[in-house]
Amino acid sequence: MNLTVNGVAHEVESGPLTSLLDVLREELAITSPKAGCEQGGCGACTVLVDGVARRSCLTPVASVQGTEITTVEGLGSPSDLSPLQQAFTHHYAAQCGFCTSGMMLAAQAYIDGGGSDGHEAIQEAIAGHVCRCTGYVKIIDAIAAVARGDEFDLTVTASSAGMVNLGGAV
Amino acid sequence: MKAVGARLPRYDGVAHVTGRTVFVDDVRVPGTLWVKALRSPVHHADITRLDTSAAETMKGVHAVVTWQDVPLLEYGHLSALGIPADEPLLAKDEVRYKGQPIAIVAAEDEETAMAAVAAMKLDLQEKPALFDVRKAFDADAPVVHQWGNWYPHFEAEMDRRQIRKGDIDRAFADADVIVQGVYRPAAIEHVPVETQSCQVVPEANGRLTIYSCTQALYFSLGVVAAHLQVPLNRLKVVGGTVGGGFGGKVDTATETMCCLLAQKSGRPVRWRWTREEEFLCSSTRAPWHMEIADAVTEDGWILGRKMLTLHDSGAYARFSPYGLTKHSFHHTGAYTIPNLHFDGYVVFTNRVPTTAMRGFGVTSVSFATETHVSRIAEVLGVDPWEIRLKNANRIGDTSPNGVAYADPSTVPVVKALADGVGAKLAPNLQAMTPAAREGDLLPEHLVAQIGNPEDH
Amino acid sequence: MTQATEVLVPTSPDEAAAAFGDGSGVTVIGGGTIVMPEITYGRLKVGKALLLGKAGLSGVSRNGGTVTIGAATPIADLVDLPPPLGPCAANVADGEIRAQATLGGNVCAGPGPDAPRGDLQGPLLALDATARSTGPGGERSEPLESFLDDRAGRLLLDVSFGEPAAGAFAALDYPHTHEYTVLAVSGARGADGAVRLAATGLADHARTLSGDPDAAASEVRLGDDALASGWYRQQVLPVLVRRVLADLEEAR
Ligand SMILES: Cc1cc2nc3c(=O)[nH]c(=O)nc-3n(C[C@H](O)[C@H](O)[C@H](O)COP(=O)(O)OP(=O)(O)OC[C@H]3O[C@@H](n4cnc5c(N)ncnc54)[C@H](O)[C@@H]3O)c2cc1C
Ligand code: FES
Ligand code: FES
Repeated sequence: MNLTVNGVAHEVESGPLTSLLDVLREELAITSPKAGCEQGGCGACTVLVDGVARRSCLTPVASVQGTEITTVEGLGSPSDLSPLQQAFTHHYAAQCGFCTSGMMLAAQAYIDGGGSDGHEAIQEAIAGHVCRCTGYVKIIDAIAAVARGDEFDLTVTASSAGMVNLGGAV
Repeated sequence: MKAVGARLPRYDGVAHVTGRTVFVDDVRVPGTLWVKALRSPVHHADITRLDTSAAETMKGVHAVVTWQDVPLLEYGHLSALGIPADEPLLAKDEVRYKGQPIAIVAAEDEETAMAAVAAMKLDLQEKPALFDVRKAFDADAPVVHQWGNWYPHFEAEMDRRQIRKGDIDRAFADADVIVQGVYRPAAIEHVPVETQSCQVVPEANGRLTIYSCTQALYFSLGVVAAHLQVPLNRLKVVGGTVGGGFGGKVDTATETMCCLLAQKSGRPVRWRWTREEEFLCSSTRAPWHMEIADAVTEDGWILGRKMLTLHDSGAYARFSPYGLTKHSFHHTGAYTIPNLHFDGYVVFTNRVPTTAMRGFGVTSVSFATETHVSRIAEVLGVDPWEIRLKNANRIGDTSPNGVAYADPSTVPVVKALADGVGAKLAPNLQAMTPAAREGDLLPEHLVAQIGNPEDH
Repeated sequence: MTQATEVLVPTSPDEAAAAFGDGSGVTVIGGGTIVMPEITYGRLKVGKALLLGKAGLSGVSRNGGTVTIGAATPIADLVDLPPPLGPCAANVADGEIRAQATLGGNVCAGPGPDAPRGDLQGPLLALDATARSTGPGGERSEPLESFLDDRAGRLLLDVSFGEPAAGAFAALDYPHTHEYTVLAVSGARGADGAVRLAATGLADHARTLSGDPDAAASEVRLGDDALASGWYRQQVLPVLVRRVLADLEEAR
């Protein structure tokens, strides 16, 4: 079986019903998709299959034979960050970082599909993704910023709205 | 001080968004074996037989470890604080919670490791289990723990954490109303998106390199060294990259067992808990049972509090005595109550052992206190903002354990909350500050409260 | 998953039917959203797998007043259909799962270990759908309810139903997308004016209801599971039935 991952063609030896997640992580040592639950419940394993966001843990590799897979490594590199990668950095949308790659690929599919900066539509797009750290607000801010076409200053972190200022007393 | 107040980018942000952050389960070492555990299928039982021979001789299995392989079987998570050991690393003759590890295996791949666990023979004599902390004190309650059903080793071998402050009898005698409430927040699983994971690599020089998702690296180092009975310099812990913890990765859940398997097999080993294991076997925030009776005056002063807390520790003590201690120190929440009578017990049940979670021991009592203060306001027909601000901690007031507050935050926080929800405060409340009490705010029952901070 | 498994990837419905044969020893995989975790966790050992993704069993077609939906159609392709099917499909999981999960896998899913599943069974029963399947004895078409009672060893090919005059769907579910539907009622008024109701979230697969709200709880088996107690479902079921009847009335 063959797969193209981030533009590189691979010959795959794992069994045909091995999950795409296991093929990527264990056979190809591409470890950005995470095994958060291996049962479809968390979204940490999401990758793009021919541009469509898909849970790699639920996907038998035989069913994606010959496709183009994109993981977060394929979006951009540290010296050449994609707009979404810049947005997640600038908006502090990656805290522990464990949900981040799955979350970003769902977001990338949303942006590629012409998604708007509307919060409800963004929530719907990332509905299958669990983040236990951020509370989602910064993630949604980051995705909305890309949808709007914002430019990002990576030397600072964006301020967040909605914080109560207790003045000097605390 | 360029960093203070600045909005600096995260030091690991770029690595996160480019997939370059290496979490524990992402470390790749050639020849690594998979780890799986045989766990108790029941809540409480005597182990009558454990036979791992079929697993040991299976093709692809490199090591099986049971209690017999552990140099120091029992070690307490808080031994360093003088809390004695009570929990075996692997169950020996009794299992006290469902999911308790009994034997572990390292095999060539995940499938073989699962098959090896399935091949282990375990006979159990099931015993009645205890889940409700309120029943732990009954004469006919199942006995959960070798120490009985509650922790007996507080200072001076007390079986409870107790606080006595002021004159509680007088407070209740002087009260216009006694307001009672029972509060029972449930257990909460931390649900980090990264499940418990660990890799251990045996190095050529005999040392072990431990890749750990622990939140408490030096702590884990000590726990592993104690169980293994090796000096600290035989272990190198690589940590700092945690896929969410929230308190659930303070317990040393995987590291010691992986070390034993790496030693026995001579191979690198790797253990990643399934989501099911994370839910069923990893420690949770404790469930609590709190009973409060407050002696209050008609105009909203809280004169005294009697409180009983039962802290559900699960099957072993772990950090619970510490959590209960913090709880007791904070049991009046953000408010100053001068007369106190507090008894708290760490109760053992046949649940998974409980642990820290954000505000260990304190969030439970904050919830209880805030709900209770609102209840008092309702019973008295007094404005809930007024009750909160009147009884708020002020500079010079003392906490239940006698610490004088130098910079208490209750007043500004309550005012900010009122502002945030658009509540209009009466002018005298709006003018309030955390400054030391005087005038109307220093009623007779609080006079003795004002300590000299120098005394503490 | 290292063991050698035979995987069949048919490229037409006929090939699929032939590959399935009498079904013995064959594990059918639609989207795999239920089957894959079973395989990963070692609970299901697969000898021969039949992947339906390329079998030409996907798509929604209309012929006269009849709608036919292929078994391998992703649930995402159903969300814009009129009620009760569209809103029910939109209520399943999240967008990524809906794009992968198939109608066939949903209809043929056995009851879950901790929660009901097979949400689409409800609207399809209310629509009086016909199930076309193959297996021992060859191809067979039958009312969905009888297929659900005896679906073991069958390969579902498609479902079809007459376009309803009106439809309605009411569900009790939690706001979180990962929560399966606790209980749902679907209703449809056929072209002939007859009203049919069905419930999902039962101890069993979906079942039809008489349409009397007060009798509803006694017409089906309501169980306890991780999502809700049977008692709770008993209290809610009449409410959902009334809501669906009211919506159908309004659509008149
Ligand atoms: C995060 C998450 C959320 C979910 N939420 C919901 C929900 O809200 N509601 C709900 O109903 N379900 C839910 N599910 C369950 C499941 O995804 C759906 O039921 C889905 O429709 C199953 O379809 P599939 O094609 O992926 O099934 P598969 O896993 O491919 O198959 C499921 C079963 O059906 C059999 N099968 C598949 N196709 C056929 C066929 N054509 N003929 C005969 N047998 C067949 C398989 O052999 C297997 O036994 C959820 C799952 C996940 C992971
Ligand atoms: S690992 Fe795939 S959804 Fe959680
Ligand atoms: S950043 Fe930690 S889970 Fe999302």
